[in-house]
This record gives sequence, C-alpha cells and structure tokens, in this order.
Amino acid sequence: MIRHSLIKIAASLALAFAATAAYAHAQLEKATPSVGGTVASVPEIRLKFSEGVEPRFSGIALAAEGGAAVPLGAPSVDPADNSVLIAKVGKALPPGVYTVTWHAVSVDTHKTQGSFSFTVKP
Amino acid sequence: MTTLSSRAVAGALAGAAAVLWLSPAFAHAVCGDRIFPATLAIDDPGVGDELALPTLTWLPQNSGGSQEFDATFSYTKTIFPGFGLSVQDGASWQNPGGYGWKSLNTEAKYNFLCIPEFEFMASVGTTVIWENTGTGTQTQPFNVYQPVLDVGKGFGDLPKSLNILRPIAVTAELSESLPSQAWTNGNQNSTNINWGFTVQYSLPYYNSHVGEIDNSFFKHLIPITEFAFSKPISNFAPGTNQTTGTFQPGAIYMADTWQFALEAIVPVNSASGHGVGVVGELHFFFDDIFPDTLGKPISKWGQP
Repeated sequence: MIRHSLIKIAASLALAFAATAAYAHAQLEKATPSVGGTVASVPEIRLKFSEGVEPRFSGIALAAEGGAAVPLGAPSVDPADNSVLIAKVGKALPPGVYTVTWHAVSVDTHKTQGSFSFTVKP
Repeated sequence: MTTLSSRAVAGALAGAAAVLWLSPAFAHAVCGDRIFPATLAIDDPGVGDELALPTLTWLPQNSGGSQEFDATFSYTKTIFPGFGLSVQDGASWQNPGGYGWKSLNTEAKYNFLCIPEFEFMASVGTTVIWENTGTGTQTQPFNVYQPVLDVGKGFGDLPKSLNILRPIAVTAELSESLPSQAWTNGNQNSTNINWGFTVQYSLPYYNSHVGEIDNSFFKHLIPITEFAFSKPISNFAPGTNQTTGTFQPGAIYMADTWQFALEAIVPVNSASGHGVGVVGELHFFFDDIFPDTLGKPISKWGQP
C-alpha cells in the first residue's frame, strides 16, 4: 500500500515536472575566452549559462591585472540564444591576466554570480 | 490504475498552473558564488523549497546487528525568506526485526547568516521526532527534541595562486538530542551530542571559476565525503556511551533543477555496524522547478 502510494506520488511529480517549464539558477557553463584560458585577442566576452538570462539585470565587468577596469559595451543576449550573455570589448587588450566578474539574473529572477581569469598572450 | 491516472493528471495540472503565476523567486543554498548541494549524512546550511524522494539506504548490519533497508522522503517548504519547515518520514525493513514506519521528523530552520564574499552561511533549527508516530521496529513512545546548527564555508575567497583549492567547501552540523522521557520500559533514553561535517570539491565551481571542464558529465559532479557521529553524554546505561558514526565517500551529480547523490556508508567502529552500506538520493529543487508557486516562500516577510 505504502509502496503504491509512493509510486503514485513519484508519477504525479514526474508528470508535473514534465508539464512545467523548468527554470533554475543560471550557472556558467562555458565562456569565451575560456575560464583560465589563454587567447591572442578578445573582441568580446561571451558567457554561456545553463538558463536564459535577463540582460537588463545581468552584467559583466572586466579588470586588468592591477584591478583597473576595462570598458565594455552594454551586455546583451545572443538573439538566437537568450542563455548567452555578451559584452563587446571596446579596444585591443594588451598582454596580461584579466579577470571577468559577472552576475546574472535568470529569466525566473534567480541570481547568481561568479568570476574567472584569462590571459592575453604577448 | 484509474487512481494513478487521476493523480497524475492532477499533478500535471498543478505543474501547468505553476508556470502561469509570475513573481520573484528565491534561491536555495546559494551564498555568493557558492552553491551548496543537499547532503545526506548531515543537512546543508541553506533553507529552500525542496523534495528528497526517495532516499534509499541499505546497511548490511546496522548498530543493532540487523540488516536494514530504508526508503524515506523529506520535503521542505519555505514560510518566509530564510525560514522553512520540513517533514521527513519513511519506511524501514530490518532482518531480524521486520517492517516499521519511521517516526515523523519535523524541523523548523532559519538561515540567519550569509556572507557572500566569504561564501559562508549558517542556519539554526529545531528538529522534533514525534512520539507514537512510528510502527513496528520504529515505535518510539517519546518525543526527541534536537536543536541544530548548520554552517557552510566555500573556499572561493582563497587567493588566485591557490586556484586549485578554491572549489573546496566544507559544511558542518552540531546538534543535541533531548528525549522527552528519561526511561522507557526500564531502559534509559540517553541525551546525545551529534556532530558531522562534509568535505566537497565542486567541479561546477571549478568549471566556472578555475578552468573549463570539457565534459558535460564531470562539470556537474561534486565528489564528497561526509562524516557523522553521535555520542551519549548523559542518562546512558553503563558502558553504552561509545561514539558511533559513519564516514560516507561518494559523489553528487548536480543538474539545474535536481541532484542525485550516491555514497558508501562505512561504520567507524563495531558499535556503529559492520560492512559497507550504501545510500542514494534523488533531490528536487522546487525553487527552481516551481519558482512562482510551490518553490517560493508563502510570505515575503523579512525580504530585503
């Protein structure tokens, strides 16, 4: 009896989940430049999240090795994929280590944040 | 079958209704850059809308000398941001011993601290194991009250020169079990101190903060080892105040809206059991699945 009840509950939950658009915390899946990677040039910062994000409430900041901020364009999402947040880099970056700091608000308003470094090679 | 179908349809309708209501949602065990997973031997330091169903445990020989299989669930509902109520219950089969339905376990828990830059969070709670709500081998004619402290610390604030250590997190729990009755059928009901901790290495954290992991399975994995101990500190029979406990190496696969954890259960001494058991748990994050209905607090009281 108990086992049957548990099965019924599990089946109901499974259907409920299937019928619901699943939103979650937007976690960083992939970045360009890659997390911890080394690149020759950086025309833009491109962050691929696990969920769609709201560009109005999300942001990307870039800092050089000494902490000086590097100007970026306003963040936007890829028109073909709202889980990709993009910020254009306004000028060529000199060689060095840079830190990307981001915060994201997913389409269901959950907030996440993070940071990572990459290197621009000489 | 008819009942199953009608319940399933009801569940599907509830799920469909969930997406129609739109309002702000609240995070589960997230503090700063750190997402603490739900753990098995001790509780995580967060409070969130979540369902663990099922949690399956098998012990070749428990502390009482019986083979044991448990199937349990746990559901937590947030009442206002940072405060939640949870219920936990389930069945146990023991050989020898037979079947028993476990005593109802409830907890009120408040997440009172999160320091994002240090990835540090802490919660306090009170658990009650209710008398006469179990059956068979699980019958317990008295309440047990248990004040609980849970803390978690991620090491993302370490300097970049120690990048490889930044995905590490530790969580810990301290509680005291206070039975409402000193004696039952001539046996003493001891007061116990319980403590435990976990050591985690978050590959999701590694992937997003340290270096890219080019494997979609491993980038969601959190290798973990949990430790849980208990020791009678008062009102115990002579010779029965040994420390008992387990350590539980395993891993957690953390997806966006659910996680699956699998751990071995290794008793730390003969008083804790014999042989290596296993525990597995499927865990759903309701704040992510139903952010506008079941997954959000009932009240916004205290929301900044």
